[in-house]
Amino acid sequence: MTTVEERPPTRAGAPAPATPAPAPRRRRAFTTRRGLVVAAFMLPAAIFVGVFIYYPMLAGSQMAFRHWNLSNLTDTSWIGLQNFATIFADPAFGVILGNSVLWVVASIVPQLVIGFALALWLRRKFRFRGLYQALIFFPWAISGFLIGILFRWMFNGEFGVVNDLLMKTGLIDQGIPWLAQPDTAMFAVIIANIWYGVTFFAIMILAALQSVPDELFEAAALDGAGKVRTLFQITIPYISTTLALTVLLRVIWIFNFPDIIWAMTGGGPANQTHIITTWMITFTQKGDYGVASALGLIVVGLLLVFSAFYLMALRGKKEVSS
Amino acid sequence: MANGKVLTGLGIGLAATLAFSGCSGAADDGTVTLQMVESLTNPARTELLETLIDEFEQENPGIEVELVSPPTDQADQKIQQMLQSGTGVDVLEVRDLTVGPFSTNGWLADMGPEFEGWKGWDALTDNAKNVATAGGKTYFIPYGFYGISLFYRTDLVEEAGFDGAPVSWEDLLEQASAIQDPEANTYGYAFRGGKNGYSNAALVIEAYVADDLDLENAYRLQNGDSMFAAPEALDAMELYIDLFEQASPPSSVAWGYPEMVEGFSNGSTAFLLQDPEVIAAVEQSTSITADQWTTAPMLVGPSGTAIQPLATAGWGVAEASEHRAESAKLIQFLSEGDASIRFTEGNSLVPILNGADEAEFYKTGAWESYLTMNEQPETYITAVQPRGVAWWTEWADKADAELQQVLIGQLTTEELLASWDAYWTEKWAAE
Repeated sequence: MTTVEERPPTRAGAPAPATPAPAPRRRRAFTTRRGLVVAAFMLPAAIFVGVFIYYPMLAGSQMAFRHWNLSNLTDTSWIGLQNFATIFADPAFGVILGNSVLWVVASIVPQLVIGFALALWLRRKFRFRGLYQALIFFPWAISGFLIGILFRWMFNGEFGVVNDLLMKTGLIDQGIPWLAQPDTAMFAVIIANIWYGVTFFAIMILAALQSVPDELFEAAALDGAGKVRTLFQITIPYISTTLALTVLLRVIWIFNFPDIIWAMTGGGPANQTHIITTWMITFTQKGDYGVASALGLIVVGLLLVFSAFYLMALRGKKEVSS
Repeated sequence: MANGKVLTGLGIGLAATLAFSGCSGAADDGTVTLQMVESLTNPARTELLETLIDEFEQENPGIEVELVSPPTDQADQKIQQMLQSGTGVDVLEVRDLTVGPFSTNGWLADMGPEFEGWKGWDALTDNAKNVATAGGKTYFIPYGFYGISLFYRTDLVEEAGFDGAPVSWEDLLEQASAIQDPEANTYGYAFRGGKNGYSNAALVIEAYVADDLDLENAYRLQNGDSMFAAPEALDAMELYIDLFEQASPPSSVAWGYPEMVEGFSNGSTAFLLQDPEVIAAVEQSTSITADQWTTAPMLVGPSGTAIQPLATAGWGVAEASEHRAESAKLIQFLSEGDASIRFTEGNSLVPILNGADEAEFYKTGAWESYLTMNEQPETYITAVQPRGVAWWTEWADKADAELQQVLIGQLTTEELLASWDAYWTEKWAAE
């Protein structure tokens, strides 16, 4: 499903097709009575959103500035930025921030590339296409935590199927303790996440591809464009808005997606596979909701900054190309 | 007309409120419904608990009990949330790990008045009485005790040329190293490097400093220092790291409870240190037969003694409960006579009742080692770890992460012990 308006690209230099100017919409006069009626209809929804979204958000945010530890709730005094100071002073924070970036970038690039390839393949008409689509999209229906548990056993150093396969194919002589070493553990959790997330890209891109008119491809073929040129000059520009929004959504989701890491390594060994959200879970488990809330605000801040820059960059790119 | 609608609405609202309020607490006929929440949930245990509750309800027609059984890994957090909200819990499972924070926050009732004159009190073992009355208040009555023993493979030990089970930590290292054969997928020791891995590291250190340990606070020496500062602690940790490097599966750096038990049950590891509830789990294994394994007493240190940490859990009453008398009645029912014996035997726990450990059940098979330990209290010394402190969860998290740092070579054993010593010294100083 795409929710964005998509327009076919125009050839550089070609005059824009003349489109009839839209008829001016009739605006109804705004009256106080009319405004009140509209407000009355919107009020239940506004109350619902306020109570169930904004109130918990604000209540959670103020915990970040208090001593809010379940081990002693008799003292929930205001401590300003102390929870943030605790986070920044922790030597693990730098590693965890780096891991968070690595987790997002190393997951999203292969997900995009493989998802795109799958979507292109699934767009073609062939026998049992529906069955293939169902099988490929199926993993998206499984819980991330379950995927994590599954991969934890697959990457088990002694009994896991990954080592077994590698040893049978002669690629390794002895089992690798994948989840016991920082580098291989990070690699393993990223592999699991790539496998899980590919289907989302495939779904989104396939939906966008199905909106590309066949005439464009036919015209490109007539002009003698090869597959690569068609891909980069027709397909990708046409669905670029969907791609951009999907990447933005996925960055936000993956950054906030602790399930797989939590189930596979719990953030270990020695905090080396923690991302910010898995680290946040450890604080909630310790009952330190103050620090956990502060971490939550840091995540929101980071994602807001990223989203702002990303959208600005996209807008700049669009203006340049137009 | 409008007033009529308003009145109708108010009437429906009132009826709904009354109907919902009837879902808990006292009903019109005087029946009291108690909400009971368990923490260490598993299906067989819940079934047994429900059977006992049915019997209690038959004996007490005016009381009904609704048992809530959250999944174990989320249970304590659920209980915390329920206690914090101030409603929904009458009787709850209290663990030695949770009694500190729960009582500090004023969530647990002191059951002293309700238990005054209770006829079952005299039947409790001294250990059970001590735990139940910690700090002069009765926050919970234990239902049993957890005690560590060494699960071992009799066949593998024999094949490796040894006469019997290891007695000391050094014996364990020797035997486990001899059995270790990664190519055959056979490993010596089911090392705990993941969640709660620090607990086994503490066991080996306690065995090495046993002669100087404060038995009321098994992280502290009699001279007031933390046990991590003792020179023997370094020897203990070095042996323990050798055990990991020479005699354990490499991936056990991430092993927690399920992996350890699975490793032993599926026949790939020869030794496992665990609580007795694992006896039931290993008995169900299809990979190893009953004659291939048993248990041995705790491993001793260089002085020939071992520390057996006393871990426990039990039943308590929420401070916000409006039915304390009925809740106390339920706990008393579960803590005496046949109900208590069935619960401890059904869950492989060390019993709370005097003489219950003399039952045939505790004298056979894997339970024999517990009998041996009970008969030799000078060798297997019972001590209380400071598990009730409010910062225990914080400690466990820190200790686990730092132990893993040692295992992957990011920290030395000296740095680890210095860090742990500084942590406890600082916490005790702030008390």
